[in-house]
Amino acid sequence: MKKRLKKLNLSRRNFLTGTATLAGIAATASVVPISIANANHSEGKKGLPDFINWKDRDALIVHSDKGIETHRSAIGESLITPNRNIYIRNNMPTMTDKQIGNRMDWKVSIEGVKNPKTFTLAQLQKLGHETMATILQCSGNGRGFFKHKPRGSQWKTGAAACVLWTGVPMKTVVEACGGINSDAVYMTSAGVDHVPTGLDPNKAMIERSVPKKVFKDAMLAWEMNGVPVPNAHGGPLRMVTPGYFGINNVKHLGKVAFTTKESSVKYMKKSYRISPIGKKGSQYPSCWEMPVKSWVTRPTDETGTVKSGKVQIVGVAMGGTKKVRSVKVSVDGGNSWKKAKFIGPNLGKFAWRQFVLETTLSPGNYNIASLASNGSDKQPELRMENRRGYAHNGWKDHSVNITVV
Amino acid sequence: MKILKFLLIVLLMSLFSNFKSFSDEAMMRKGLEIFNETAACAACHIFQAAGSQGNIGPNLDTVSMTFESVKEMVTYGLGVMPAFGEDEILTKEEIDIVSNYVVKSQTK
Repeated sequence: MKKRLKKLNLSRRNFLTGTATLAGIAATASVVPISIANANHSEGKKGLPDFINWKDRDALIVHSDKGIETHRSAIGESLITPNRNIYIRNNMPTMTDKQIGNRMDWKVSIEGVKNPKTFTLAQLQKLGHETMATILQCSGNGRGFFKHKPRGSQWKTGAAACVLWTGVPMKTVVEACGGINSDAVYMTSAGVDHVPTGLDPNKAMIERSVPKKVFKDAMLAWEMNGVPVPNAHGGPLRMVTPGYFGINNVKHLGKVAFTTKESSVKYMKKSYRISPIGKKGSQYPSCWEMPVKSWVTRPTDETGTVKSGKVQIVGVAMGGTKKVRSVKVSVDGGNSWKKAKFIGPNLGKFAWRQFVLETTLSPGNYNIASLASNGSDKQPELRMENRRGYAHNGWKDHSVNITVV
Repeated sequence: MKILKFLLIVLLMSLFSNFKSFSDEAMMRKGLEIFNETAACAACHIFQAAGSQGNIGPNLDTVSMTFESVKEMVTYGLGVMPAFGEDEILTKEEIDIVSNYVVKSQTK
């Protein structure tokens, strides 16, 4: 017997978006293709969507118009990843300049504090000023290594970047609001990018709760690597939660509330939960703190064969919420390890460190791996199997095979 | 007699082939209908074959996909995308039809 089907619990008017609503209804009356355009994500001239046509196509792997990865060898060898090379992972459409309006008039409300207030970007810029470096990393970075092929972009190493942010420390904002309410347990940040879509906010709204303590390190950022935060990366104002996975760094920030409970929206309650394969639910841990991790960026299989003799093996290493302490490199698939040297400036515990190991390789095939430690934890050999392919920091999958000639 | 038998076989094969292509075409039309109306995939995805310009999920002409990967995505959803199978919004048959339609109609 045919099962009785549930209806979509969104009204069609609310579910459909913009002109597609009319187009969809008109088209389906006769079941012919829709012909009305309203997208701002059409493909640009360089094979990138228009909204990020300023990025470097050669540095990027396009999984979809909303899931774009940085090539392993294009992550940047100068510590900071250039904006044009940084990955894109957008759960919701990027806001347009028209939707944003005058950036200085952008508003963010602060709630769950003694004196709730709404600040414009111009007011925030008068309140305080700080610059810090953090790692942006998608929770699913490394998903492409999972054998059960979890749904979502098949990232390998390139859904990560080291970024310099300028903005006002959340601590300063909290002080300006008279302090946090005593019963608060979480800092809950909400983006406003659901507004133009007409979708049910409980399903579409990006609202993420993190433990309250994160406010001490957090920042409301308006500048990213020396330029106003691009719309595609959450401008004009983005929450930055150092040491926490990308999803918690809420884009197009409209509200920060200190709350007693975690947000009840789908993106908090159901999505981004690290559950065993075949299981799901809000009882499983949320994608919050990033684990210690590293990977080699050169040489790799992307950079071609390597000339025998002296070789510089370079990469990046991060400690998660703690300072990365050491990195070891293996050229024989993990049978033996040598300590690598950190190079470049130390931009604090939330930035990654570059490392290098100088070694001599004769012709042959090599498996190169790196293994980082933050003093308390080190990278495991294997991935932690989980349903959605989150938080992969196993060193084995992240190793690379190279040929020396 | 042999010639008649041969012609009969050719005729039957031709009818079967026409029936099959009619059936394929009907399935593709049904797939388009599910895409644009029943499941309203069009509201959230750009997809040239359906003429849709939704801008919530990925542009389906830019994604690498197989029948199995589409079927799994439609069944279980992802983020804001509903779980059309798990939440019983579409039947298994409808999921097969729309997944087949999307994979076969993709313009890359």
